[in-house]
Order: sequence, then C-alpha cells, then structure tokens
Amino acid sequence: MSAHPDKPAPKPDGAPGVHAKPLWSIRPASDREAGDAVVSNFLLHWFPAKTYKPSLDWNYSFWLGTASAALLLLVTVSGLPLLFLYVPSVERAYGSVKDIEYVTTFGFWIRAVHRLSAHLMVAVVFLHLVRVFLTGAYKNGRGQGQKRELNWVLGIGLLLCTLFLSFTGYLLPWDQLAYWAITVGTNIASSIPLVGPAIRELLLGGRAIDQATLIRFYVLHVIALPAAIGVIFLYHMWRVRKDGGLARADRLTLLPEKAAEAPSKTKTYTLLGVARGTSPAVKASTLERPDTTVNSVPDLTRRILIVVLAIFALVSIASVFYHAPLEEPANALVTPNPAKAPWYFLWLQEIVTDTTVKIGSFTINGAFLGGVLLPGALIFLLTIWPWLDKSAPGSAGLWFPKDRRTQNAVFLAFVAGVLVLTFIGTFCRGPYWHLYWPWQAWPELPTRI
Amino acid sequence: MSEPKSRREIFLKLGFGAGVAALGAQAVASLRSLVPNVSYDSPTTVKIGMPNDFPDGMKFLPDERLFVFREGKTLHAVSAVCTHLGCTMRAEALSAPETKDVSGKPLRLTHRFLCPCHGSKYAGDGTNVAGPAPKPLAWYHLSLSPDDGQLVVDLARPVERDFRFTLA
Repeated sequence: MSAHPDKPAPKPDGAPGVHAKPLWSIRPASDREAGDAVVSNFLLHWFPAKTYKPSLDWNYSFWLGTASAALLLLVTVSGLPLLFLYVPSVERAYGSVKDIEYVTTFGFWIRAVHRLSAHLMVAVVFLHLVRVFLTGAYKNGRGQGQKRELNWVLGIGLLLCTLFLSFTGYLLPWDQLAYWAITVGTNIASSIPLVGPAIRELLLGGRAIDQATLIRFYVLHVIALPAAIGVIFLYHMWRVRKDGGLARADRLTLLPEKAAEAPSKTKTYTLLGVARGTSPAVKASTLERPDTTVNSVPDLTRRILIVVLAIFALVSIASVFYHAPLEEPANALVTPNPAKAPWYFLWLQEIVTDTTVKIGSFTINGAFLGGVLLPGALIFLLTIWPWLDKSAPGSAGLWFPKDRRTQNAVFLAFVAGVLVLTFIGTFCRGPYWHLYWPWQAWPELPTRI
Repeated sequence: MSEPKSRREIFLKLGFGAGVAALGAQAVASLRSLVPNVSYDSPTTVKIGMPNDFPDGMKFLPDERLFVFREGKTLHAVSAVCTHLGCTMRAEALSAPETKDVSGKPLRLTHRFLCPCHGSKYAGDGTNVAGPAPKPLAWYHLSLSPDDGQLVVDLARPVERDFRFTLA
C-alpha cells in the first residue's frame, strides 16, 4: 500500500509506532509516514488514517463544523485578555469595558474580535445545523454501532450553549443595551405559570437586576457555559469519529463491488470495533481504492488549516473596522425606545409581540406562548426529529435527496420564517415597536420624559 | 449473614448508596446556596414627596416607575411597568382629555401609555387596549406619612381602580 510502489518505504527511526518527528509532515513521503502522523501525534490521534474523498468536498459540508470550532477557539482566546481587564461589579463594569474600548492598547480590537466571533459563531453553528438537517446527516448508515442521532442531540445542546453564552456576555458591559435585554429575557422566564417568578429570582439572585445578577451571568459566561460547551464539543467530535466520519462516508458501503473480486476482508474504522464488531465495516478493497480515500495527512489536515486560518484572518481584519457597540451606562429609570434584543433573539421578540391570545376572559401572555412554549416546542421537535425521519438510509449524506423532499421543504419554511422575523425585528421596527421601512426615517421622540 | 458473598453485596450497596447520598446532598447544598435568603432590594413602601410637589395632572417618578395623577384634592398612582415584559412605559398627553367611568367612579383621563419594547398601549386608567400586554396596569395604594406628611406609595399593595386618595 505504499504511495510509491517501486520505492520501499523509508525505515522509521524509532521504535515501531513511535513517530520520530515532534510534529507531523505537511508532505509525508509515504503512506507509512502519513499513517504514523495520525497514530503517534496527540493532536491528530482522533483523526482516521484515511478519509473518504467526497467527505472533503467544499460544497458538501461547507466546513461549517470546522468553522464553528475555529470560532470557538477564537472566542476563547480573545476572551482571555478580557478576563484580566473586565471587572464584574455594578459600579465598575461599565467603566472597565469603556477602558478596554478607549484606553487599553489594542483593547478595542480584542473586544471586537471577541464580539464578532461570538456573533459569527451563533450564525455558523445555526448554518451547520441547517446543513446537517438538509443532508440528513443525523441518519445512520449500514454500519453497526452508529449513533448519529445522539450526535445530533449533542449538536442542539451546543447550539443552546452558544446562544446562552452570547446572551450572558451581552449583560456584562452593563450598558442600556444589556440592562433591558436582560429585563425582557428574564421576564420571559417569569411568565411561566407557577414556577416562573421563582426561576426569575434564581436567575437574578433577587427581585431586581443588580450586583447578584451581574455576578451570576459573569460566572455562567466565563466558567459554567464554557465548561459545558467544551465537554459537549469533545464528545461531539469523538462521536463523529465513532460513527465513521461524515454521513457521506457511509456511501462507501453503497459502492458496487467488482464482480470478479474474490471474497475479501472487511475493515473497520476502529480497533475496538474489530473486537466487538460494533463499527461500520467496509470492504478493505473498497477502502483502499485510490479513487475513494486519501490519507488524512495531509489532505484533511491541510483543509482544516485553511479553514481555521481563513476564519482567523477574516475576523481579525474585520475587527479593525468593526467597533463593538457600547451604549450609555445601564439606567433602570429609562427604557430605550425601541428596546431590542440581540439580533439572534429578535425573531423571538417578534413572536412575543404577536402571541398574546385571549380565550374568553382568559388571557395567555405572549411571553409564555411565544417566549417559552413555542421555542421549547421547536427545540423538542428538532431534538426528536432523527427518530421521526423514516427515509431510507441511502438518502443520508446527499443534498436534497428525493425521499426527504417534504421534510426538507417544511424545515426550510421554518428557517425562512425565522430569517424573515429576524429581518423585520432588526430593520423594520422603530419607536414603540411600530413598523417602518428600513429606509424610512423614525419620528423624533424625546428620549426622556 | 452466614454467607460472605451476600454480606459483601450489602456493604457494596451501602457504600455505593452512601456515595450517591453524599453527592446528592452536596449538590442540593450548592444549589440551595444560590437561592437568596435576604433581599437587599429597595423597599416597597416609599415616601415620594410632599403633596404640594404634585401639580394638577400627571407626574412621572422614574425611581418608583410610577405615574401619579392629581385632580384637585384627589390623587391616584398607576404603575409604569408594562405587564408584558416589564419595560418602563412612556406617557403621552391626550390632545383632548375625556372623563370616563372607571369601576363606578368618574376619572379624568389625560394621558395614554405606550411601551417601547413591544408596542403595547394602555388607556389613561391602565386598561390594556392594544399590543401584547396581557392585563391592565396595576394601581397602587397611597397614604400620608404620619411623621412628616409626605405621600407614601405601597408598591406591594395593588388596589382596585376606584381607589382615590383624598387630601384633607
């Protein structure tokens, strides 16, 4: 299986399985060297030695998962200096963020990188979910022991963590934007019948938004949620590997066999899988056909490097021009007009505006219907969808397969609805939440009474 | 107790159970510590000034989030907190004030209230008329402080809409 059949593979210097180089080679000289890089390098040890070629296509996955991971890395790294500069106290939070923005050398840039990559992460993680749904990538192939549904559920957990991370970070500058977003957000929680007010009090650490609230959101933002996202992320990646790579790789098992081939050995992706027979098994001859697989080093590693570097470059350069907003200090006495949630929650704000219903003399607060029940139902439906999707295994790993046409259309309709509501909330809502065209001027209103 | 195997089983279960109980108790203790026992929130009974500080018509008190109305010798207080999601309302003066019967008593309506967050609208007596607001604005109890004669509002004591505080 050497890349150069006429030349024998160069002898490794160390003991078998021990890679001589501290890092892996960008251009491995032989298959042996390429495989060695994966086996003996800590950073690469969770990669397969070989990757199914079509899994690497740019236009299959758009590398959105890798981009999400790159943004997570970037948001973590840019958060570290902020951790030293920010003071989580009601008196000093706003001042410290103002110092980061206007006094600290490069402070504005670090804050912009943090803010921008956080916003991008929300968008990219969501797009990743859309891609996985449309390609049916939560579906198991013919391999044994695959649990792609579980990985889908983990992915939804990661999306929720991303949203909560972004939302908790929103409060920390303690400006008007933050204060009223938290007022609205926590009042949505308190609209739940019976337990609502208790939940709000637990979130705020009291009955009003104050120091106890700031420190709670701060700890959630810098410790609890990052820890959760880290653990789920590692499990998510490990499952991708256990499930035999992308759903597209399962199509390998569907390839027609050559008729003349003698009964051949099968290969599994994992060593334990061999012993237990719990891993997708693929005919060894198929796996080694040069048109189906390539060495992960360098074909996979090179692409990952390109995606990560592209994201870093994009965010770093954009952050020079983008300035993270900082409004007036939080003022419990004045509600800004209009008061808007962060853009990724504006579709929910649109819904809570329109869902107060009256049944006879009984009124259901839109906050509960639109802010708790509806998003809860959507997340629940998304979570259990892999078990409801009865399409054939062969339709996984393809864009717009025929027998998933209806569910893809319904899903896209929901996505479009969310996008339209987000657009209306962002661009078409003015003072007192009246509708204005994006090009229409808002009336002059006094900011204070 | 004669068989060593079953004794082992019992100890195993005891040990395991003790471990689970200890972890559970620690988790409960940690979570319970996050529920505040003391509230340092601002008090709900607040002195809001001498009656003479309140002119005829409406005065907005941002700290208490309260509209105080005065008509001759009678006063009443309406909450400025939107019943939908808790934003502070803005008052808009009506061009033509009207008098309406509210809970059996005539009331001069000089303003209406608009919420900047989700566009709820309330009439001058606090009735929700448009937008997502699920219920009317609260009215609060007013009294005079016996020590210095200031007006006192009790933000923990909502009252019916026929409530009027009459100055002696």
